[in-house]
Amino acid sequence: MGKLLRVLNREQCIGCYSCMFACSRVWYQAITVEKAALRVKNYAGIEGAFSIRPCYGCSDPDCARACPTQALTPRPGGGVLFDETKCTHCEACTQACVPDALQWDHEKNVPIVCRQCGVCVKFCPNGVIGMQEIAPAAR
Amino acid sequence: MPTFRLLDIDLTTGTTRVSDVSDRFEKYLGGTGVATSLLLETPAGLDPLAPEAPVIFAIGPFSAVFPVVTKTVALFKSPLTGNLGESHAGGRLAMAMYGAGFHVIRLTGRAAFPCYVTVDEDRVEVHRAHSLWGSSALAAERILRDHEPSSFKRSIVRIGPAGERCSPIAAATVDSSRHFGRLGLGGVMGSKNLKALVVSGGRYWPVTEKGKYNAFYQKIYEAVVNSPAMKKYHDLGTAMNVMPLSRINGLPTRNFSQGFFEGAADISGETFAEKHLTQHLACGHCQTGCIHMATLRERFDPEEHQYKTFKISYDHELVYAFGSNLSIQNPEEVLRLLLQVEKEGWDAMSIGVTLAWAVDAFQAGHLTAKETDGLVLNFGDAATYDKMLHRIKAGHNGFYRDLEKGAVFCAKKYGGQECAIAFGGNEAPGYMTGLFAYLGYATGVRHSHLDSAGYSIDQKVLNEPKPDEELVQGLYKESVWRMALNSLVICLFARNIYTKEAVLEGLAALGLTGWDEARLNATARRIHAMKLRYKERCGFRFDDLALPGKLARVISGNGQVTSERFARQVAAYRDLAAKDAGELPAEYR
Ligand code: SF4
Ligand code: SF4
Ligand code: SF4
Repeated sequence: MGKLLRVLNREQCIGCYSCMFACSRVWYQAITVEKAALRVKNYAGIEGAFSIRPCYGCSDPDCARACPTQALTPRPGGGVLFDETKCTHCEACTQACVPDALQWDHEKNVPIVCRQCGVCVKFCPNGVIGMQEIAPAAR
Repeated sequence: MPTFRLLDIDLTTGTTRVSDVSDRFEKYLGGTGVATSLLLETPAGLDPLAPEAPVIFAIGPFSAVFPVVTKTVALFKSPLTGNLGESHAGGRLAMAMYGAGFHVIRLTGRAAFPCYVTVDEDRVEVHRAHSLWGSSALAAERILRDHEPSSFKRSIVRIGPAGERCSPIAAATVDSSRHFGRLGLGGVMGSKNLKALVVSGGRYWPVTEKGKYNAFYQKIYEAVVNSPAMKKYHDLGTAMNVMPLSRINGLPTRNFSQGFFEGAADISGETFAEKHLTQHLACGHCQTGCIHMATLRERFDPEEHQYKTFKISYDHELVYAFGSNLSIQNPEEVLRLLLQVEKEGWDAMSIGVTLAWAVDAFQAGHLTAKETDGLVLNFGDAATYDKMLHRIKAGHNGFYRDLEKGAVFCAKKYGGQECAIAFGGNEAPGYMTGLFAYLGYATGVRHSHLDSAGYSIDQKVLNEPKPDEELVQGLYKESVWRMALNSLVICLFARNIYTKEAVLEGLAALGLTGWDEARLNATARRIHAMKLRYKERCGFRFDDLALPGKLARVISGNGQVTSERFARQVAAYRDLAAKDAGELPAEYR
C-alpha cells in the first residue's frame, strides 16, 4: 500500500507557496511555483482563504479516462503515469480533473503529473499537507 | 549566468520598452542599488508629481529564489520630503515580477485617463479604468483579481482614494495587507492617473548549480522554520514589542509625551493574539508568515442581531500609531480606525502622527474650533479621530484637506512645529528609546527605523553604556550594510539569517561569480553614497536635520536627549558619510 498526498489542515495554510516551490525545484530543477503538481489557490476578496489542490491519487482517474491517447494511465498505488510521447496537448485531462489538481505546464504544453513523492510535505512549515496511507478502496 | 531585464512603461504614450540591465546588476547587485542608479539619471529639480518623475520597482537576484527574499523596492521622488522616496513592500510582487521576467519595472508619464496597467510577461497593457477611480484600496484589489484572470500567480499594487488625491502620505497597497507605506508612493501613482499595477508570469530560472543551490536552500529553510531566528515574527509578531518598550519608557505615547503607556497591556501583542488574531499570512516564498490578521465582529443593528465581520492586519507600527501615540487602549477602536486607513490608503504612521500633532496643536491653541469645525481634539478620543478621518476623506474644509499633507506641512501652516514629530520631513516610527532611535530616523536615507535600527542600539546601551562617538559608527556601519540587503531585497526580518557569509554562498549558488566580502562591502558603500548624492541634489543637508523641539524636553527610554547632543552625532554621521563619498561612481559626481 502506498501513501498518497492529502490536505490535513487546510485552515492552517499561510499561503507561502513553499510546497509549490519545492515540487518544481525537485522535479523540474526550476525555481518557480508554476511547475508544481499541486496548487494553492487564493480568492478575490477573501483575505487569507486558501484552497489546496493536490492530486488525490484516484484509483480510477478521471484524467486518464479523459485522455484520448492513453498518455495518462492509472498508476499502481493511485494516480497516473504520463507518457509524454503520446500526449497530443489537448488539455482534456486537466479539464476532467474535478478539483483542478492536475496542473498544466504552459511551457511544454503537457500536464504536470504528481509522483506522490511527499517532497512538498517536507517543505510545508505548518503541517497543512501530509502523506497518508489510503486503502485502495478509499482512493 | 542569469540576465536581468528592465521594463519601461510610458503612461503618456502607452508605449513600452524592454532593455537588458544585467550590467547594472553586476555593478549594484539589484534592488535598491540598481534602482538608485536609475533614479540618479533623472534630471535634477523634477517636481515629484510631474509626469517625467519615474516610479521604479526593483527586485534582486535572490528574489523569489530563496526563502524570505520577498520584498520589492520602490524608488521615486518623495512628495513628502522632496528628496529620496524609497519604500519596501512584501506580498507576491517580487515573485510576480520574477515570473514576468522583469527585475525592474519603471513607470513614467501620466495617462490621459484613470487607468491600470497589466504586465503578463511581455504582454503589457494600459487599461482605461474610470470605474475603478474612487474605489477603496481593498475594493480595487477584489475587482481586479476577478477582472484580470491569469494562469499564473498575480500580484496587485493599487492606491486608495488618498493616492488619487495625490496625498504625499498616501501608500500603495500590495496584495494582502502589504504596503509601500512611507514617503508617498500612493500620491505619485495618483499623479500619473495610475490606480493599479497587476503583474504576473510563469518565467523562471533553472537551477544550474544543483548541489550548491539545494544545500543553501535547505540551510536557509531550516533557519527560517526550525531555528529561533524568526520565532518572534511568526509568534506574536512585531506587536510583541509593545509591552517591553513601554516598560523601558520607549513606547511613544500621546504624541511622544512619554514612553510609558498605561494602557500598553490592552494593546499588546499578547492581547491582540488572544482576542483578535485569526490567522497568519505569508508573503510569496516566505515560510514565516508574519502577517497577523485580526478579526473584528460587530453588531451593526441595535434593534436586531445583525453582525458584520472584518479582517485587518496589525503590527507594532500600527498599534503605536493608532494606539499608544493617540492614547487609545481599546484594541477594537484601534482596529476600526486602521480599517479606515487601509481603505483610504494612507500611510498609517504618517496619518497617525499627523493626528497626534493636531491634538497637541489644538491644546496649545494653534488650532481652534474654527479649523476643526467644532471638533474638540483630545488624546484617547477614538470617536473624534474617526470623524476626523471621515472629514479628511470628504475634504470637509481646508484644514482637513491639509491634514493629509503630513505633520510638517500642517505645523508650518498652523503652528506647533515643535510638536510635529518628524525627521527629515517623515513622520516618526514607533520607538522613543533614545538618541539612537532619533539619529537613525534622521540620518537614514529613507528616514525609516529600518535604515539602521538605532532603536536596538538604544536598548543595548541600557545595559552596557558606550560613548556616543563609538555607537554612531555602529549606526553608520549598519545603514551601509543594509544597502546590500536591500539590493538583494531580503526581508529585513531575516537579516540575522542572511549574514555576509550566507549572502556570498547564495550568490555562488546562483552562478553569480566574483563576489567576495570586500566587493560586497564596497558595493554597499557605493550605493549608500549614491543615495546621499541624490538626496543632496534634491536639497537635503545633514546640517538641516533637527530634533523636534518636544523631543528635547521629554524623557526617552535613555533619558533626556538634548538638541546639542543630537546635532553633534548627526555631524559625526555626516563626517563618516563624507569619508565614503569617494566611493561615488564618477558619472554621478
Ligand atoms: S490528476 Fe485529478 S483526476 Fe487525475 S488522478 Fe489526480 S486527482 Fe485524480
Ligand atoms: S507529492 Fe511530489 S510530485 Fe506530488 S505535488 Fe508533492 S512534491 Fe509534487
Ligand atoms: S507550504 Fe503549507 S502553508 Fe505554505 S502554501 Fe503550501 S500548504 Fe500552505
